[in-house]
Amino acid sequence: MLWKDKYELGVPIIDAQHRELFQRVGDFLKTLRSPVSWEEKVNSVNETLEFMKGYVVEHFHDEEEYQRSISYPGYEAHKEVHDDMVNYVQEVSQEYESSGYNEKLMQQFGGRLLSWLINHVASDDQRIAAYAIEKGVAGGEG
Amino acid sequence: MRDNVHSLFLEATRNVFQLMLDLSDISDRSAENFPSDEGLGISIGIEGDLTGEVIYRFPNDTSLSMVNIMSGMEVDSVDDFVVSAISEIANIISGNVLTMLAENDLKCDIQPPVPSKPDENGGYELQTIKCISTTVGDVCLEIRLNAA
Repeated sequence: MLWKDKYELGVPIIDAQHRELFQRVGDFLKTLRSPVSWEEKVNSVNETLEFMKGYVVEHFHDEEEYQRSISYPGYEAHKEVHDDMVNYVQEVSQEYESSGYNEKLMQQFGGRLLSWLINHVASDDQRIAAYAIEKGVAGGEG
Repeated sequence: MRDNVHSLFLEATRNVFQLMLDLSDISDRSAENFPSDEGLGISIGIEGDLTGEVIYRFPNDTSLSMVNIMSGMEVDSVDDFVVSAISEIANIISGNVLTMLAENDLKCDIQPPVPSKPDENGGYELQTIKCISTTVGDVCLEIRLNAA
Protein backbone atom coordinates (compact mmCIF):
# COMPACT_ATOMS: atom_id res chain seq x y z
CA MET A 1 0.00 0.00 0.00
CA LEU A 2 1.78 3.06 -1.27
CA TRP A 3 1.93 6.42 0.48
CA LYS A 4 1.76 9.38 -1.90
CA ASP A 5 2.86 12.94 -1.26
CA LYS A 6 -0.54 14.21 -2.41
CA TYR A 7 -2.02 12.69 0.76
CA GLU A 8 -0.06 15.18 2.91
CA LEU A 9 -2.31 17.59 4.81
CA GLY A 10 0.45 19.93 5.96
CA VAL A 11 -0.32 19.14 9.58
CA PRO A 12 2.81 17.37 10.92
CA ILE A 13 1.23 15.21 13.61
CA ILE A 14 -1.63 14.03 11.37
CA ASP A 15 0.65 13.46 8.38
CA ALA A 16 2.99 11.37 10.52
CA GLN A 17 0.03 9.33 11.77
CA HIS A 18 -1.29 8.82 8.24
CA ARG A 19 2.08 7.48 7.16
CA GLU A 20 2.11 5.13 10.15
CA LEU A 21 -1.46 4.08 9.38
CA PHE A 22 -0.57 3.26 5.77
CA GLN A 23 2.45 1.33 7.01
CA ARG A 24 0.41 -0.77 9.45
CA VAL A 25 -2.47 -1.42 7.06
CA GLY A 26 0.10 -2.24 4.38
CA ASP A 27 1.82 -4.74 6.67
CA PHE A 28 -1.54 -6.31 7.48
CA LEU A 29 -2.48 -6.59 3.80
CA LYS A 30 0.93 -7.95 2.84
CA THR A 31 0.54 -10.67 5.45
CA LEU A 32 -3.06 -11.34 4.45
CA ARG A 33 -2.08 -11.69 0.77
CA SER A 34 1.14 -13.65 1.26
CA PRO A 35 1.26 -16.74 -0.98
CA VAL A 36 1.11 -19.37 1.75
CA SER A 37 -1.77 -21.40 3.12
CA TRP A 38 -4.22 -19.81 5.54
CA GLU A 39 -3.08 -22.16 8.31
CA GLU A 40 0.48 -20.97 7.86
CA LYS A 41 -0.33 -17.27 8.02
CA VAL A 42 -3.40 -16.96 10.22
CA ASN A 43 -1.39 -16.20 13.38
CA SER A 44 0.60 -13.48 11.63
CA VAL A 45 -2.59 -12.08 10.10
CA ASN A 46 -4.16 -11.90 13.56
CA GLU A 47 -1.10 -10.16 15.03
CA THR A 48 -0.90 -7.51 12.32
CA LEU A 49 -4.69 -7.09 12.46
CA GLU A 50 -4.56 -6.26 16.19
CA PHE A 51 -1.54 -3.98 15.71
CA MET A 52 -3.39 -2.12 12.99
CA LYS A 53 -6.78 -1.95 14.73
CA GLY A 54 -5.44 -0.27 17.84
CA TYR A 55 -3.73 2.38 15.78
CA VAL A 56 -6.85 3.14 13.74
CA VAL A 57 -8.73 4.09 16.90
CA GLU A 58 -5.80 6.13 18.24
CA HIS A 59 -5.39 7.99 14.97
CA PHE A 60 -9.09 8.75 14.56
CA HIS A 61 -9.14 10.15 18.10
CA ASP A 62 -6.11 12.39 17.50
CA GLU A 63 -7.43 13.60 14.16
CA GLU A 64 -10.78 14.46 15.73
CA GLU A 65 -8.98 16.40 18.47
CA TYR A 66 -7.14 18.35 15.81
CA GLN A 67 -10.39 19.14 14.01
CA ARG A 68 -11.88 20.44 17.25
CA SER A 69 -8.80 22.56 17.93
CA ILE A 70 -9.25 24.41 14.63
CA SER A 71 -13.07 24.50 14.94
CA TYR A 72 -13.45 22.46 11.77
CA PRO A 73 -17.10 22.81 10.70
CA GLY A 74 -17.21 19.32 9.24
CA TYR A 75 -16.19 17.75 12.56
CA GLU A 76 -19.50 16.02 13.34
CA ALA A 77 -19.86 14.51 9.87
CA HIS A 78 -16.22 13.42 9.83
CA LYS A 79 -16.55 11.85 13.27
CA GLU A 80 -19.59 9.93 12.05
CA VAL A 81 -17.51 8.51 9.18
CA HIS A 82 -14.82 7.48 11.69
CA ASP A 83 -17.39 5.95 14.06
CA ASP A 84 -18.99 3.97 11.23
CA MET A 85 -15.60 2.53 10.30
CA VAL A 86 -14.72 1.68 13.90
CA ASN A 87 -18.09 -0.06 14.30
CA TYR A 88 -17.51 -1.98 11.08
CA VAL A 89 -14.04 -3.07 12.24
CA GLN A 90 -15.44 -4.20 15.60
CA GLU A 91 -18.33 -6.09 14.01
CA VAL A 92 -16.06 -7.89 11.56
CA SER A 93 -13.55 -8.68 14.30
CA GLN A 94 -16.24 -10.25 16.47
CA GLU A 95 -17.64 -12.27 13.58
CA TYR A 96 -14.12 -13.30 12.59
CA GLU A 97 -13.27 -14.55 16.07
CA SER A 98 -16.54 -16.38 16.54
CA SER A 99 -16.14 -18.00 13.12
CA GLY A 100 -12.84 -19.52 14.23
CA TYR A 101 -10.80 -17.12 12.04
CA ASN A 102 -12.55 -17.58 8.72
CA GLU A 103 -10.29 -16.51 5.83
CA LYS A 104 -13.09 -15.31 3.54
CA LEU A 105 -14.23 -12.77 6.13
CA MET A 106 -10.72 -11.39 6.51
CA GLN A 107 -10.08 -11.18 2.76
CA GLN A 108 -13.34 -9.26 2.34
CA PHE A 109 -12.41 -6.97 5.22
CA GLY A 110 -8.94 -6.33 3.78
CA GLY A 111 -10.30 -5.41 0.35
CA ARG A 112 -12.81 -2.96 1.72
CA LEU A 113 -10.28 -1.43 4.12
CA LEU A 114 -7.82 -0.86 1.25
CA SER A 115 -10.28 1.17 -0.84
CA TRP A 116 -11.87 2.91 2.13
CA LEU A 117 -8.60 4.15 3.60
CA ILE A 118 -7.23 5.51 0.32
CA ASN A 119 -10.45 7.38 -0.37
CA HIS A 120 -10.72 8.68 3.19
CA VAL A 121 -7.18 10.07 3.30
CA ALA A 122 -7.15 11.30 -0.32
CA SER A 123 -10.60 12.89 -0.18
CA ASP A 124 -12.30 13.34 3.21
CA ASP A 125 -9.16 14.33 5.09
CA GLN A 126 -8.08 16.78 2.41
CA ARG A 127 -11.11 18.89 3.26
CA ILE A 128 -9.65 19.41 6.73
CA ALA A 129 -6.44 20.71 5.15
CA ALA A 130 -8.36 22.97 2.77
CA TYR A 131 -10.22 24.51 5.72
CA ALA A 132 -7.04 24.92 7.79
CA ILE A 133 -5.25 26.67 4.92
CA GLU A 134 -8.25 28.91 4.26
CA LYS A 135 -8.36 29.91 7.92
CA GLY A 136 -4.60 30.31 8.19
CA VAL A 137 -4.24 27.62 10.86
CA ALA A 138 -2.48 24.98 8.76
CA GLY A 139 0.91 23.76 9.83
CA GLY A 140 0.05 23.68 13.53
CA GLU A 141 0.36 20.51 15.51
CA GLY A 142 -3.13 20.61 16.95
CA MET B 1 -31.53 17.03 -13.68
CA ARG B 2 -33.19 13.60 -13.73
CA ASP B 3 -32.30 13.23 -17.41
CA ASN B 4 -28.68 14.01 -16.65
CA VAL B 5 -28.20 11.58 -13.77
CA HIS B 6 -25.98 9.40 -15.93
CA SER B 7 -23.57 12.30 -16.41
CA LEU B 8 -23.25 12.65 -12.63
CA PHE B 9 -22.32 8.99 -12.33
CA LEU B 10 -19.71 9.37 -15.06
CA GLU B 11 -18.32 12.52 -13.48
CA ALA B 12 -18.09 10.85 -10.06
CA THR B 13 -16.43 7.80 -11.59
CA ARG B 14 -13.82 9.97 -13.31
CA ASN B 15 -13.19 11.91 -10.08
CA VAL B 16 -12.74 8.78 -7.98
CA PHE B 17 -10.50 7.11 -10.55
CA GLN B 18 -8.31 10.19 -10.69
CA LEU B 19 -8.19 10.63 -6.93
CA MET B 20 -7.69 7.02 -5.88
CA LEU B 21 -5.90 5.51 -8.87
CA ASP B 22 -4.22 8.54 -10.45
CA LEU B 23 -5.99 7.72 -13.71
CA SER B 24 -6.64 10.90 -15.64
CA ASP B 25 -6.65 9.61 -19.22
CA ILE B 26 -10.32 8.61 -19.28
CA SER B 27 -12.56 8.75 -22.34
CA ASP B 28 -16.09 7.71 -23.24
CA ARG B 29 -16.52 4.52 -25.20
CA SER B 30 -19.38 2.73 -26.85
CA ALA B 31 -21.31 0.12 -24.86
CA GLU B 32 -21.27 -2.07 -27.94
CA ASN B 33 -19.07 -5.13 -27.66
CA PHE B 34 -18.62 -4.59 -23.92
CA PRO B 35 -18.41 -8.06 -22.36
CA SER B 36 -21.23 -7.55 -19.86
CA ASP B 37 -21.57 -11.21 -18.98
CA GLU B 38 -18.01 -11.65 -17.75
CA GLY B 39 -16.10 -9.95 -14.96
CA LEU B 40 -17.56 -8.25 -11.92
CA GLY B 41 -21.08 -6.82 -11.82
CA ILE B 42 -21.75 -4.82 -8.67
CA SER B 43 -25.19 -3.44 -7.96
CA ILE B 44 -25.85 -0.44 -5.73
CA GLY B 45 -29.52 -0.02 -4.87
CA ILE B 46 -30.90 3.52 -4.72
CA GLU B 47 -33.90 4.73 -2.72
CA GLY B 48 -35.53 8.11 -2.27
CA ASP B 49 -36.45 10.68 -4.92
CA LEU B 50 -34.95 8.21 -7.38
CA THR B 51 -35.33 4.46 -6.95
CA GLY B 52 -33.67 1.57 -8.71
CA GLU B 53 -30.06 0.53 -9.05
CA VAL B 54 -26.79 1.25 -10.73
CA ILE B 55 -24.70 -1.68 -11.88
CA TYR B 56 -20.97 -1.20 -12.22
CA ARG B 57 -19.39 -3.67 -14.63
CA PHE B 58 -15.67 -4.25 -14.33
CA PRO B 59 -13.91 -6.73 -16.64
CA ASN B 60 -11.51 -8.91 -14.63
CA ASP B 61 -8.39 -7.26 -16.04
CA THR B 62 -9.70 -3.84 -15.02
CA SER B 63 -10.46 -5.01 -11.47
CA LEU B 64 -7.04 -6.61 -11.07
CA SER B 65 -5.21 -3.54 -12.38
CA MET B 66 -7.16 -1.26 -10.04
CA VAL B 67 -6.34 -3.36 -6.99
CA ASN B 68 -2.70 -3.66 -8.07
CA ILE B 69 -2.47 0.14 -8.22
CA MET B 70 -4.07 0.63 -4.81
CA SER B 71 -2.28 -2.14 -2.96
CA GLY B 72 1.11 -1.99 -4.65
CA MET B 73 0.91 -5.79 -4.76
CA GLU B 74 0.52 -8.17 -7.66
CA VAL B 75 -2.96 -9.65 -7.53
CA ASP B 76 -3.68 -12.22 -10.22
CA SER B 77 -7.20 -13.50 -9.57
CA VAL B 78 -10.55 -11.91 -8.80
CA ASP B 79 -11.03 -13.34 -5.33
CA ASP B 80 -12.92 -12.17 -2.22
CA PHE B 81 -10.32 -9.48 -1.54
CA VAL B 82 -10.60 -8.00 -5.04
CA VAL B 83 -14.41 -8.19 -5.15
CA SER B 84 -14.59 -6.37 -1.82
CA ALA B 85 -12.09 -3.66 -2.83
CA ILE B 86 -13.91 -2.99 -6.11
CA SER B 87 -17.32 -3.07 -4.41
CA GLU B 88 -16.13 -0.38 -2.02
CA ILE B 89 -15.05 1.78 -4.96
CA ALA B 90 -18.54 1.39 -6.47
CA ASN B 91 -19.92 2.39 -3.07
CA ILE B 92 -17.65 5.47 -2.91
CA ILE B 93 -18.63 6.59 -6.43
CA SER B 94 -22.32 6.17 -5.63
CA GLY B 95 -21.93 8.06 -2.36
CA ASN B 96 -20.35 10.96 -4.23
CA VAL B 97 -23.26 10.95 -6.68
CA LEU B 98 -25.70 11.22 -3.76
CA THR B 99 -23.93 14.38 -2.65
CA MET B 100 -24.25 15.81 -6.17
CA LEU B 101 -27.92 14.86 -6.33
CA ALA B 102 -28.57 16.50 -2.95
CA GLU B 103 -27.06 19.72 -4.30
CA ASN B 104 -29.80 19.51 -6.94
CA ASP B 105 -32.56 18.91 -4.36
CA LEU B 106 -32.82 15.18 -5.02
CA LYS B 107 -32.57 13.21 -1.80
CA CYS B 108 -31.54 9.58 -2.12
CA ASP B 109 -29.91 6.83 -0.09
CA ILE B 110 -27.82 3.91 -1.29
CA GLN B 111 -27.79 0.26 -0.31
CA PRO B 112 -24.60 -1.72 0.34
CA PRO B 113 -23.01 -3.21 -2.80
CA VAL B 114 -24.19 -6.68 -3.85
CA PRO B 115 -23.49 -8.88 -6.89
CA SER B 116 -25.70 -7.81 -9.78
CA LYS B 117 -28.60 -9.96 -10.97
CA PRO B 118 -30.36 -10.04 -14.33
CA ASP B 119 -32.96 -7.32 -14.72
CA GLU B 120 -36.36 -8.77 -13.84
CA ASN B 121 -38.37 -5.59 -13.69
CA GLY B 122 -37.52 -3.62 -16.81
CA GLY B 123 -39.35 -0.52 -17.91
CA TYR B 124 -37.32 2.05 -16.03
CA GLU B 125 -37.90 5.72 -16.79
CA LEU B 126 -34.17 6.26 -16.83
CA GLN B 127 -32.35 3.32 -18.29
CA THR B 128 -29.01 3.70 -19.97
CA ILE B 129 -25.59 2.10 -20.25
CA LYS B 130 -22.54 4.36 -20.22
CA CYS B 131 -18.98 3.14 -20.62
CA ILE B 132 -15.57 4.67 -20.14
CA SER B 133 -12.14 3.63 -21.25
CA THR B 134 -9.07 4.03 -19.04
CA THR B 135 -5.44 3.04 -19.25
CA VAL B 136 -6.18 0.03 -17.03
CA GLY B 137 -9.26 -1.09 -18.92
CA ASP B 138 -12.90 -0.30 -19.47
CA VAL B 139 -15.80 0.16 -17.06
CA CYS B 140 -19.53 0.29 -17.80
CA LEU B 141 -22.32 1.72 -15.67
CA GLU B 142 -25.83 0.44 -16.19
CA ILE B 143 -28.29 2.92 -14.73
CA ARG B 144 -31.84 1.77 -13.99
CA LEU B 145 -33.90 4.38 -12.16
CA ASN B 146 -37.46 5.55 -11.66
CA ALA B 147 -38.48 8.90 -10.25
CA ALA B 148 -40.43 8.55 -6.99
